[in-house]
Amino acid sequence: MFFLNSIIKWSPVASRCYSHGKVETDEEFDARWVTYFSKPDIDGWELRKGMNTLIGYDLVPEPKVLDSALRACRRLNDLASAIRILEAVKDKAGPHKDIYPYLIQELQPTLAELGISTPEELGIDKL
Amino acid sequence: MSLAKPLMRGLLAKRLRFHLPIAFGLAFAAAVAFKYTVTEPRKRAYADFYKQYDAVKEFNAMREAGVFQSVRPSGE
Repeated sequence: MFFLNSIIKWSPVASRCYSHGKVETDEEFDARWVTYFSKPDIDGWELRKGMNTLIGYDLVPEPKVLDSALRACRRLNDLASAIRILEAVKDKAGPHKDIYPYLIQELQPTLAELGISTPEELGIDKL
Repeated sequence: MSLAKPLMRGLLAKRLRFHLPIAFGLAFAAAVAFKYTVTEPRKRAYADFYKQYDAVKEFNAMREAGVFQSVRPSGE
């Protein structure tokens, strides 16, 4: 029971238990993902792959990463994926109900600029 | 009124750090409880039974009951 705590690395991202090698900081992680979604000619596969990978991590993506992803959706004319991203991060927050309202608050300018409705506005957040 | 930034990283890790030791502890406690309420009494029961066990007497009782093929009851 006690050795388990040292084996599991308590870092949010998929990292190997290297004793060598620098651990990426949160800022570097965020910057890397903002850059990933900022690719001007990103394609649908890369968008989906990026989002699926990002959702696999033990974290809720930062507003700036989501902003970059939503703009990628805009470039791809993919409103469905944009709204799905919002649903995904709400689910990702799990029992922590304060995260999603904060994200919507931070993304409000982007949502308004790009004309993205939230699942709540569309009424698709209820079963 | 603007919302403060909540904690957004390592939420699962935080939960596991709290719940995993409890889970392992409870599982271990369940195993210990089972050992001392079930397996130890069983082992004692078997030991007590065989402490006074007379194999020859039991064999003869079975022989008289006629359950063996290799030996017939002593009367025949």
